Amino acid sequence: MIDHLNEDDLVLHYYGELDGAAAAKAEQHLGTCGDCRRAHTRLQQVMAAVDAMPEPVLPDGYERTVWARLQPDLSRPAGWRTWLSFAPAQLAWLAAVAVLVSGAFFAGRMTQRDSGPTTVVTADQVREQVLLAALSEHLDRSQTMLIDLVTADTEGMVDVSTERDRASDLVAANRLYRQSAAASGEASVTELLDQLEELLVELAASPDKLSSEEIDSVRKRIDANGLLFKVRVLSSTVRERQKQQIRTRTGQSS
Amino acid sequence: MPQTDAAAVALARDGNSEAFHALVERHSRAVYRLAYRMTGTPQDAEDVVQETFLRAYKQLGRFESRANFGTWLHRIAVNCSIDLIRSRPHRESALDMPDLEQFGAAAERNDPSGATPERLMLSTEVQERIGTAMSGLSAMERAAFMLRHFEGHSIDEISQSLGLKTNATKHSIFRAVRKMRIALEPFVADS
Repeated sequence: MIDHLNEDDLVLHYYGELDGAAAAKAEQHLGTCGDCRRAHTRLQQVMAAVDAMPEPVLPDGYERTVWARLQPDLSRPAGWRTWLSFAPAQLAWLAAVAVLVSGAFFAGRMTQRDSGPTTVVTADQVREQVLLAALSEHLDRSQTMLIDLVTADTEGMVDVSTERDRASDLVAANRLYRQSAAASGEASVTELLDQLEELLVELAASPDKLSSEEIDSVRKRIDANGLLFKVRVLSSTVRERQKQQIRTRTGQSS
Repeated sequence: MPQTDAAAVALARDGNSEAFHALVERHSRAVYRLAYRMTGTPQDAEDVVQETFLRAYKQLGRFESRANFGTWLHRIAVNCSIDLIRSRPHRESALDMPDLEQFGAAAERNDPSGATPERLMLSTEVQERIGTAMSGLSAMERAAFMLRHFEGHSIDEISQSLGLKTNATKHSIFRAVRKMRIALEPFVADS
């Protein structure tokens, strides 16, 4: 009976994954069996075609975008002092951690014992308090930057170095908020933060000065997406939630 | 901008962010291409690029100056890709591909009718076909196949990296190769 090589044997042989004896046996068989040799040749041809796998096409200036995303994380100093500085990225991180911690706490309360409603609400309030305060600050800063861009002078070259630096500061925090919102299933907030992040990254990667055409194009993008309006609406929603939270807390304590 | 990677690394180690910027400028495209090949989606590839450079920055002190920075970075990017793939086991089932019969039927439908060998040899068509075949791989099949085929890792190494049993790794590679054959064999046979 002829002991043909099956498909999997051929793959292992192709990659040199057969042990010494099995490899020698396979070689010997390929030398005498026309069917297996043809199958082996076809496999080699397929693998050669795989090597021509297409490369993804990247836009010009891709490196600038990578750097703009990266730079805020690199410049973050390490150590305990970081946590006292309350830079936007740290606030976002704190907020995200607060969400996770309170989520875990809440889940623990639910599964371990029958918790009273007051305890659960308090834990939830702590989470919201941190998140809302940090998000509100982030949205305010983003809004100010967008307003400055929209109202910038359009004569000749426009100096956007201040906005660029602010955008760099906001990118990392925005990414954490977006990921946090996505994890919580807040689709509309995620979408807005995604749009905002795109613009922030682009600005963070821009040179000191933009031509009037370039600044006009940025404005058109802000207008087309209704970005400023959406940030304002979200900002006011966040503030309203903060007020409600204070009212709830006051009502409980009185 | 420092002329060589070694000079840029030396400066970056001393906290010169512009030197690290130069390294990002030189290597980010290559890292993206590798990350995209490993993960198969632009979003995941972007995340891998970001994480790769962050890890490289933090570990610059451990980089041996005689080594090749590109090779070192490549290794970090492979590890980041593996970490990302391993961190999302749910994706495997969520995005699990149709079985091989369905995959074969889909490949059959994509066959360019009336294609001549000359037409089939056109690289764009070959590449499209490969792209389609690649998108038919599950995340684990893709990772295992890429590590074996392009990175030259052994099946044992891949099993360790991906946290799979040896048989499961082999199975992933066999399925990936089978899908490649279904998609590409008519091509290479005709041409």
